[in-house]
Amino acid sequence: MAFLRMSGIPVLLLASCVALACGDLYAGYGWCLAAGALLALGGSYGIVHQRLLDALERWRFGWCGALPAVRGAAAYTLLLVTIAGLVASLAFVTALLFGISASAQHGGDRFYALAGIGLALVAGTAVAAVRVFRPSALARTHHADGIREPVLALPWLNDARLPHLLDWQRRAALVRWRRGGSFVMVGIVLAAVPIGAPMLEVSALVLLVLSWSWLVVVMRASADAFVAAVRLLAAVPWDAHSARMASLRYPLIATLCALMLMAIGTALLRHGVVALFWIACAGATSAWPLVRLARATRVAGPRA
Amino acid sequence: MTGLLRATNVRVAYGDVHVLDGIDLTIAHGEFVALIGPNGAGKTTLLHAIAGTAPLCDGHVDVDGHDLAKTPRAAKEAVGLAIDPPSLPVLLTGRECLALFAGARGLPSIPPATLALGETLSLTSVLDRRIDGYSLGMRQKLGIMLGLIGEPPLLLLDEPFNGLDPRSALAFKTHLVSLVARGGTSVLLATHSLDIAERHATRVVLLMDGRVRRSWDAAELMGMRESPEPSLEKAMAEACGV
Repeated sequence: MAFLRMSGIPVLLLASCVALACGDLYAGYGWCLAAGALLALGGSYGIVHQRLLDALERWRFGWCGALPAVRGAAAYTLLLVTIAGLVASLAFVTALLFGISASAQHGGDRFYALAGIGLALVAGTAVAAVRVFRPSALARTHHADGIREPVLALPWLNDARLPHLLDWQRRAALVRWRRGGSFVMVGIVLAAVPIGAPMLEVSALVLLVLSWSWLVVVMRASADAFVAAVRLLAAVPWDAHSARMASLRYPLIATLCALMLMAIGTALLRHGVVALFWIACAGATSAWPLVRLARATRVAGPRA
Repeated sequence: MTGLLRATNVRVAYGDVHVLDGIDLTIAHGEFVALIGPNGAGKTTLLHAIAGTAPLCDGHVDVDGHDLAKTPRAAKEAVGLAIDPPSLPVLLTGRECLALFAGARGLPSIPPATLALGETLSLTSVLDRRIDGYSLGMRQKLGIMLGLIGEPPLLLLDEPFNGLDPRSALAFKTHLVSLVARGGTSVLLATHSLDIAERHATRVVLLMDGRVRRSWDAAELMGMRESPEPSLEKAMAEACGV
């Protein structure tokens, strides 16, 4: 299961990018390949970083934390799982790339696409692994990520029917965002941009990649926090409709903010098809968490 | 005393495992019922079945005249279930968590009685700290306060004295006894502390293998209290066939 969790999301993330990069659109929109590679880089870094931190934390502070395990065994095992996840992602991307490009007009470019995305995937995973397993990171306590407050307090957004659910969702998103690398991703994205690329387009790409990654994090964290709240309040006589309305406030505000940033990014990029692609990405990102939010009030309570 | 809870032929199963196998239990207003029994007897599951958080395979639960299956919201208005410490949201502060529960119950703010209980349990000073930094005892106290918020007529408590320091445990016992003595509140307490059951309960129910094996009424318990030896322990051992 850990293997699937480690490899599944980057693969899904890459699938859409690769499809776009290797299709007939490739000739007209070379930046799509760059976007795919950047997403692979940022996505693999963020996801592997978060998964490794979670797994390491469970290992250190979970039920098996007191077992007399050999020093470094956890890190070694997790590293092997990460490498296996990476190999699986690369294999999947290669198969997908060759499959798609067989009938594409510019199918010959598949080697460049494969090299770009593969290298990005390896680099993202490697940076995440180094950051998690470096000695100073291992010494950090597991509470540290949740302590800091968001920069802007938004008390007026709270719903009186479920006060502080919004705070719960925001903090969950913040913890997840920081675990996923936060603004380190900007540096990674910039580092991957070719020398001499137009600044306007680079800024647009950074804006698009960051706003989409942020939206992914916020939507998933909001849905998870609400599902946890439903379980916590299972014995309380709350109104399901009011609860659903309260749970949507933060995700909707976040989606609006992300769409505004994406609109600015696409305007700077000046490609209508790319704008459609990003809007489709945002929609796909938000759809499943929104379904989970709507379904959460029907989730059964905890087992005794 | 009038009927507050009526559980009839309650059956709960997790997969092939039958945890509750036809439980009948009635609790009147102002009763303090202790639920005892060995590990795995089904005490916690029974509390969750009454609170509506464990699905019934058969039978029905009626709380304060409301059928839990047909009108769950009305039935849950009358029930307060203390929250298990590991289930608390670590990213919220204690006060935020209390406000969340108060809002869900339709209360405009945290009731003064709940804050007073926090003061009694010496939790006020840490209410503005994140739950992530709470000790087990602090979490237990907060879980108790969440169950008692709004003072519902039926309190369901699962080992609430675990992790409490002696002073807080005494304060909470006194609080429970005074709530019951006022007549408006009934308590169903699942516990392994036979001395608490023997001293404070008005009825003790022994659960074994998902069934009610035996119960002791107020008169029998009164007799046990007057005995110099720990009689409930002996009576339970006999009932269990030890």
